[in-house]
Amino acid sequence: MNAACQILVVRGVFKLIKQPAAPLTGFGMSLFFLLVYQAGIGGIGHLDAFGDAGYLAFIFPITIISLAMGSSAGAGQTLNADMQSGYFKRLYLSPAPRWILVVAPMLADTLSSVLFTGILTAIGAIFGLPFQFGILSVLGILFLSLLWSVTLCGFSAGIMLRTGQRQSAAIVTNAVFPLLFLSTTFLPRELITAKWLLSVSWVNPVTYVLEANRFLLAGTSPKQFFVWGTVILVVSSLCALWFALSSARKIRV
Amino acid sequence: MSAEIEIKHLQKKYPNGVEALKGIDLEIGKGRLFALLGPNGAGKSTLVKIMTSLIRKDSGEFRIGGMNPEDHFARLRQYMGIASQENELDPGEKTETLLRFQARLFGMSKKLAAERADELIRLFRLSAERAKKVSALSGGNKRRLHCALALVHHPRILFLDEPTVGMDPLARETFWSVITDLNEQENITVLLTTQYLEEADKYASDIALIMEGRIHFAGTIPAFKSLVHPNPQASLEESYIMYVKSIISTN
Repeated sequence: MNAACQILVVRGVFKLIKQPAAPLTGFGMSLFFLLVYQAGIGGIGHLDAFGDAGYLAFIFPITIISLAMGSSAGAGQTLNADMQSGYFKRLYLSPAPRWILVVAPMLADTLSSVLFTGILTAIGAIFGLPFQFGILSVLGILFLSLLWSVTLCGFSAGIMLRTGQRQSAAIVTNAVFPLLFLSTTFLPRELITAKWLLSVSWVNPVTYVLEANRFLLAGTSPKQFFVWGTVILVVSSLCALWFALSSARKIRV
Repeated sequence: MSAEIEIKHLQKKYPNGVEALKGIDLEIGKGRLFALLGPNGAGKSTLVKIMTSLIRKDSGEFRIGGMNPEDHFARLRQYMGIASQENELDPGEKTETLLRFQARLFGMSKKLAAERADELIRLFRLSAERAKKVSALSGGNKRRLHCALALVHHPRILFLDEPTVGMDPLARETFWSVITDLNEQENITVLLTTQYLEEADKYASDIALIMEGRIHFAGTIPAFKSLVHPNPQASLEESYIMYVKSIISTN
């Protein structure tokens, strides 16, 4: 990694440590989801549609998705704070390539998201979360979390750079939020009775991300869901990265 | 005297139709302390922004230290130090941390960065502010830190855009002592824009007068005074006002 990039990523990480509200809120929200859903409606995990793994393995992927959503606006907000203070101009006038100025806070956010996913997975394991492929499942979950985080961070940073408004960094989270409820978030397809919701869930990319995680955890989803989920996340994270970098070219300091 | 900055036929028109630069030709010699003077909106900041690649030129060309900015992006960043009109500081960082970070960003090792930060803190008399957050600094100290950051990487040419705005007289004296020492002892070229003509009179070796996007005069201060004012003891400010008025009345 380029030395300037390393220094800027470290700066981004220190910024998160100094102002941990966003990642901690995301983590707290996810842990809350995990515990409350498991305690409240975990009993339905005995139904045949959930397989042998129970409700914990079924609900766990949504906690990972909400974790990244909670902190995805961080990169955009860091960039915005630097622009408002004028400090971005000083970074812009340094020898660091301009794309690094945008990618570094995204990387910091992504690292934070993957770290908290690891912690959440460890907590899940304590509560009996199954891992179908052992350590490979854990690595797979971290990898999917990384791609999901890059997707959200990239789009939110790009939108902020184009609009120049701090609040706009949260647009992506607001756009993704309804997709969570139009998917197999709480129940498997077999138990969703509304035909329109079933149809929507088929074209909802979040469904494939959830099912990819479920394949890794309990193996309750078919392998092709894992493949599609991974492909969707690779494509979306590359698009998000391209969007953020093309937005960086439009910056006027 | 070799030219450190060479500008040829530089033109810039903003999207709103304002023609900020209408064909600038200028040479600034190595080791000179050069003041770019002119009324507000004359094109001074536009010229500095183009040379520091903050905005693009429409046409013309320029070289800095013999380098074309389009071909030597990273090298020129190391070669130039820039202190713009507005402070460019991270309010959440401490004075020393910000200086060290800037040094690291310019490729210095941790040890060298710490030494350079110490040196600049001493030079700009910021010792009492070393551990303070930028947001807690006074306006004058913020300005000093802003200028210190421009010097972290030992640049060979300094662009100072209205550098002493907001500094008290003592801070200005300290600032100019640092800049003139660098200029004289290390032969660093300084390009200054300022509205404080007494500062230009006292410290600059050459000036250029820019108005409505054109250079009207470029040369030494004594040459400018003798061209404009009948009294050889006249200050630069008196000569400047007389000259600008004559241009306005001619137009």
